[in-house]
Amino acid sequence: MTTAIQRPTRPPFYRDVTVLKWVFQIVFLIGIVTVFWLLGSFSIANLAKQNLAVSWDFMARPVGFQVAEGFTTLPESGFQALLVGITNMLRVTISGILAATILGVIIGVSRLSHNWLVNKLATVYIETIRNIPLLVQIVFWGIVVSIIPDIVVDETSDGSLKSLFGLRLLPEGWIFASPKGFAMPWLVPTDGRWQWVGFMIVGAVAALYAYRWRIRLQEAGTAEARAFLWSGGVLVAFAIVGTFAHPVMGIFGPVFGFVAAFFQNTPIIIFQIVLAGLAVGGAYYIIKKRLDELRTPAGLGKLTDDDWFRLAMAAVVASGLALFFLLQSGPVKAIVGQGTIFGQEIGLSQLFTGLESRFSFVSGAPFDFSLPAIDGRFNNYAADAGHVITRAYFALWIGVVLYTAAFIGEAVRAGVLAVPKGQTEAGFAVGLRRSQLLRMIVLPQAFRIILPPVGNQYLNLAKNTSLGIAVAYPDIVQVGQTIFNQTGQTIPIVISWMAWYSFVSLTLSAIVNRWNKKLKLVER
Amino acid sequence: MTDQAIIDCRGVKKWFGDFQALRGVDLEVTKGEVVVIIGPSGSGKSTFIRCINRLEVHQEGQIFVDGIELTNDVRNIEAIRKDVGMVFQSFNLFPHLTIMQNITLAPIWVKKQSKSEAEAYGRELLERVGIPEQADKYPGQLSGGQQQRVAIARALAMKPQIMLFDEPTSALDPEMVKEVLDAMKELAKEGMTMIVVTHEMGFAREVADRVLFFDYGQLVEAGTPEHFFTNPQHDRTKLFLSQIL
Ligand SMILES: Nc1ncnc2c1ncn2[C@@H]1O[C@H](COP(=O)(O)OP(=O)(O)O)[C@@H](O)[C@H]1O
Ligand SMILES: [Mg+2]
Repeated sequence: MTTAIQRPTRPPFYRDVTVLKWVFQIVFLIGIVTVFWLLGSFSIANLAKQNLAVSWDFMARPVGFQVAEGFTTLPESGFQALLVGITNMLRVTISGILAATILGVIIGVSRLSHNWLVNKLATVYIETIRNIPLLVQIVFWGIVVSIIPDIVVDETSDGSLKSLFGLRLLPEGWIFASPKGFAMPWLVPTDGRWQWVGFMIVGAVAALYAYRWRIRLQEAGTAEARAFLWSGGVLVAFAIVGTFAHPVMGIFGPVFGFVAAFFQNTPIIIFQIVLAGLAVGGAYYIIKKRLDELRTPAGLGKLTDDDWFRLAMAAVVASGLALFFLLQSGPVKAIVGQGTIFGQEIGLSQLFTGLESRFSFVSGAPFDFSLPAIDGRFNNYAADAGHVITRAYFALWIGVVLYTAAFIGEAVRAGVLAVPKGQTEAGFAVGLRRSQLLRMIVLPQAFRIILPPVGNQYLNLAKNTSLGIAVAYPDIVQVGQTIFNQTGQTIPIVISWMAWYSFVSLTLSAIVNRWNKKLKLVER
Repeated sequence: MTDQAIIDCRGVKKWFGDFQALRGVDLEVTKGEVVVIIGPSGSGKSTFIRCINRLEVHQEGQIFVDGIELTNDVRNIEAIRKDVGMVFQSFNLFPHLTIMQNITLAPIWVKKQSKSEAEAYGRELLERVGIPEQADKYPGQLSGGQQQRVAIARALAMKPQIMLFDEPTSALDPEMVKEVLDAMKELAKEGMTMIVVTHEMGFAREVADRVLFFDYGQLVEAGTPEHFFTNPQHDRTKLFLSQIL
């Protein structure tokens, strides 16, 4: 008996799972956009009734307030004020992530320690920190700093200032503590620092090559690797030589100037075409890659309906973007620096002009050693001496670091414990030493397990920095609040906040996801 | 100790807390000998062979491997581990490394061989265990039988004088048992000194020089495979054999 092979018949579109799924998603998206659009227009209308037209003008206008700390304390515009808030937020986030990682690993390893005291201390730390709300902890640290005796200018003796910190390991006057925070010696960057940084970028590349070279030698069996030692050495060498030789980098100044002029003087239509081309090219690349993945020796694999929808979406989005770039010269002008964003000239051209002036054969040390000092007039730390960790910064920083480290510690412990005991035994059985076993067998496997939860903790830390408002730390939330108290422009400020935090979160998760994918075990 | 005894255990005792897992085991294994250990679950077979490469620490008695005594001396432990390969019931391959990296890891980092040298020998070993084409795959992509053969190759890569096998086929699907046993038989024929914990009596009969019966942490009975199949002495041995045969 033979039956003809039946082609599967397609169900009517209203019963087709794939069609339904995509239609549902598109309808959902349209619904959300509509809701927000309606909400937005209602609020705008309501605000207009109260004579408060929503406007972004404050971005370009001077603000009438001072920011407590940041790259400038007297921002020229609302935009710059928000920028100060953003950099302040980043300062806490980046240094906080580094410190919390180091402390978290130490805590996690201590929790695994066979040493009773170390183990119990780590446990107590984790249990305490995890069970107190972060907000309370930040306020607590703020209070701790505020009860330090205040700065007193000692005029009875020789008029010089006494260190108020009871630390006698360091010479008198190196470290100060007061309710205003802490002051300590610092390497204050000078004009030459940019050239030095340029030097260090070259150094980092060299260090990478040194690292690979040592690994290759090790693999070829000619030498012990000591790859970290070597690459570290190269970096240090560059740092030292760069301190003297950094003016060499000045040759890049004119190059940057040339690039800046190129962005400034090329007719805008060229950039419009290039950007439109990039959008189309990107879509083409995505589509081609997907098709290549499906291509087998036997010919093109069958595209699923999902694939069709995805490819169609890519094409639609790309054509939309391309059209946008071709028809709207404004945004393109802003990007290349021929126009403005929020009244600010912050495009590529300005970026390179900035680099040009920073790479101009400036000589002298890239950093100056500077001791902290006290400004008697304000009974405060002098602005340009040493480095000041303000009360607000310290309270927020120590708060988020201690808090996040407790969670990272737990993730590290769980990760190491999750590596099966058989792995250790197999490693010992082939003769590996304990250190080799940790480095080559246990940690790489533990790392895969640790990374996703720790990535989550990084996100939490970044978002938790907004709690700095409790100690008046001038991050983007606090600065934004000051602006809308003055201008009444709540909607633009809230949009700025959301845009900024989404940007940070998406960037962090993109980094973690990428890394995660790279580390994924190959399974059948 | 005779001159040829490559493993010499004298009165080995081992406790896990209150529980005594080994109650004084005496055993001499000569070079090239294949010893099969059988016995009920929990009788201390694994514990005993794991003492031989110091995955477990014995508390009383002495263990000499190739004339070196196993003590707390790190140098002795390292020397002995280089000389003793081990294959586990659950393979324990390193899942984040390719098959070739699994095999060459120890030769490169412990024996300080060059990568090319280690890889050349690694390919030879994969050839011997019958899976030369899998070198660049990861353990997760292989079948159980293939993984266990890789584990054998990994142990052999250190050119050990002695191989320990702890129930190497117990975690395998029945159709894969043979390929692993064949690799082991091959090894036995080449004159490797082997201690094998297994219940594969066919294997014991074919290649074992001696069979040991363990019970309650003691070596109850020892003899040729023939002895065990025809006239076991102890009641416990008889009972055990009647259950597995
Ligand atoms: N790490 C350990 N801690 C406590 N008891 C153990 C440990 N390892 C093994 N044992 C005990 O020692 C006895 C012998 O175990 P084992 O050598 O694994 O037996 P076998 O391999 O013969 O089945 C068992 O009763 C087991 O429960
Ligand atoms: Mg066992």
